[in-house]
Amino acid sequence: MRSIRRGQVRAPLALLVSERGTRRLAAVDDRARTLGLFPGQKAADALALVPDLLTFDHDPAADRAALEALSDWCVRFSPAVAIDGDDGLLLDITGTDHLWGGEGAMLVDLVARLARWGVPARAAIADTAGAAWGLARFGEDLAVVPPGGQRQALSDLPVAALRLDEAAEAQLPRLGLHRVGQLYGLPRAQLAKRFGLAFTTRLDQALGAAAEALTFRRPANPWFDRLAFFEPISAPEDMARVAADALALICARLEAEGRGAKRFEVVFHRLDGQAFPVRAGLARIGRDAQRLAKLVVPKLDKVDPGFGIEVVTVHAAGVEPLAAVQAGLDKASGAGLDETLAPLIDRLVNRLGEARVWRADPYESHVPERSVVRAAPLDPPPAAAWDPDRPRPVRLFKRPEAITALAKVPDDPPVSFTWRGRSHRVRRAEGPERIAQEWWRVELDETGPGKVRDYYRVEDDAGGRYWIFRQGLFGSGEAPKWWIHGLFG
Amino acid sequence: MAGSREARLAALRGRIAAIEAGTRTPTPVLPFGDPTIDGCFPGGGLPLGAWHEVVGAGLEGETGAAPAAFIGLLLRPLAATGVVVWVARRTDLFVPGLFGLGFPAQRLIQVRARDEAEVLSVLEDALSTAGVSAAVGEAQAPDLTAGRRLQLACEKRGGLGLLLHRRPYGGRAGEGPRTVSGSASFSRWRVGPQPSGAPPDDIGLGPPRWRVELERCRGGRSGGWILEAQEAGHGPHPFRLVSQLADHDVASAEPGWRKAG
Repeated sequence: MRSIRRGQVRAPLALLVSERGTRRLAAVDDRARTLGLFPGQKAADALALVPDLLTFDHDPAADRAALEALSDWCVRFSPAVAIDGDDGLLLDITGTDHLWGGEGAMLVDLVARLARWGVPARAAIADTAGAAWGLARFGEDLAVVPPGGQRQALSDLPVAALRLDEAAEAQLPRLGLHRVGQLYGLPRAQLAKRFGLAFTTRLDQALGAAAEALTFRRPANPWFDRLAFFEPISAPEDMARVAADALALICARLEAEGRGAKRFEVVFHRLDGQAFPVRAGLARIGRDAQRLAKLVVPKLDKVDPGFGIEVVTVHAAGVEPLAAVQAGLDKASGAGLDETLAPLIDRLVNRLGEARVWRADPYESHVPERSVVRAAPLDPPPAAAWDPDRPRPVRLFKRPEAITALAKVPDDPPVSFTWRGRSHRVRRAEGPERIAQEWWRVELDETGPGKVRDYYRVEDDAGGRYWIFRQGLFGSGEAPKWWIHGLFG
Repeated sequence: MAGSREARLAALRGRIAAIEAGTRTPTPVLPFGDPTIDGCFPGGGLPLGAWHEVVGAGLEGETGAAPAAFIGLLLRPLAATGVVVWVARRTDLFVPGLFGLGFPAQRLIQVRARDEAEVLSVLEDALSTAGVSAAVGEAQAPDLTAGRRLQLACEKRGGLGLLLHRRPYGGRAGEGPRTVSGSASFSRWRVGPQPSGAPPDDIGLGPPRWRVELERCRGGRSGGWILEAQEAGHGPHPFRLVSQLADHDVASAEPGWRKAG
């Protein structure tokens, strides 16, 4: 779909594929089509007819990527966009056309914008996906079918407008059935018998008698709003203001329906079709537009306005019912601890990322480094707790550090050890606490007696308390090694 | 004449005190439960709407284990009234250890900052939030401006700020933490380990002890003590005074203090 200019005159263009050793045209542009070229023609024939034909290799993956980018761009018209085949997009515009002042105006705007980028497109609006598909390909360009009018609108189109399989499409004209309208009066049972059940299904889908499921690029979400501007904006303070306005729009809707959401996304659409999403998450569901704006505004420096932002869309996800009573309570006294903490957690998470703010919860494992899991700070408190009879250090090293230790008797705690170049004489010791590897998690040869750890709590002359362990047992091959794993205060 | 002079002086003192207090209301304090310690503070305990520095003694300046345990124990009573936010650049704080000292782990929110400045700004943010009763940061000494900002954040909600001075790993062992002349903190503590007493039945280890020196305290006196952890069931205060250091100024001189214990 790219246009190439050579000098001032555009040369005809075709894409080529290799098919069983023959080079054939895969796609032709308008100019090449007027010169009599068509897809499927042999490349040699085409070049004989049109010597100055520009040819490129067909790249289906790039086509697909371009179509996906286009479908993402179409989100500005409706959040529900489905990719149709290799060359089509289906937009569910239910409830969004009023933003353009009518379906016709919306359609004209869509096609005009595409044409401005050199993307030739045909479009139609109808009640059903099937009717819109047929009209966009075979009908009048920019057709808008009034509700319920698809039967009338389709009747003059060729039968290919029904998305039929190849066999049926070839067979129908042989029977004298050229127009869709001719099929309306025929007995359905016989049509189904001759052309298969898929045939009548396609017919019903186009006419609205059967439902059709579309696979949208992103799940259909009614929590969507948009702001369009007469003049593109680019000043940072303007962007901050429109972000707040867009959030206020969606939050007002959420409030009207007694709901709140956990994740919000403000997308800035640039003039050249690039979109910059800015996300904000909440620790608890909410709909406070001012608070959300405070979370979004610091991230706006990542949005490059280029020649200007023309549209801002906003989505809310994770929408759940939210009782309205909380808004009226005095924040400091009436609300629970979670209520007052949620804004802080939101600020920290949005600034640092989710992985950097956590609460440590117990996990049922004896291996010290696995006995802690990170939970979101405002999750309900855990039911379990660590075993108070197993003392644990306040500082745990990520990797145990090797020490040289001197023990009198093999199974005794050491009498002295050297760590980081300093020697410590052990005054008192407690232990051992034997911790074995969890055999159900690791390879079997990792859990042998050589991997058993005997932990000791030792106190040195100065009163420093250390958590050291001996890995392995005496008399089982390798000599055991001593490690320090943590520090008690 | 003398009487009126004294009366005028008293009136002047009252006015100065009123100016100094400003619009602040007197903040509540966190008492240690022993008059010899609480007497060092002007308010009879560690004031809450202020921030305090905690420095590790000797090797603890790098590992920060004894100060962390000391802070965990110190904040145990405060965790009942709100959450505690612990901000650090490293993740070696092991919560089961604090839990073992009686600290309610579900009241602790940990934050991992990317640099020193972020530690301070997160600390500031946390302290000015309702529902946060204390916030602990692990960083080097902040400059005067940052310290003043921290103080204002503490005053906003009456939260207790603690800054644990920690030298990054890899520094030379002899180097002390970066020092800044003057500080906006209310007090500075130096905390190191201390050999524990005999355990009840002479098996294992007794309750941990710390050698705690109050090096500087605004409007109060300095002091030095040996404190022992008190189990959560034994009274409201987390520490038990074992003994007072005879001459903490001499004892705090770096090379000799290890032998003093």
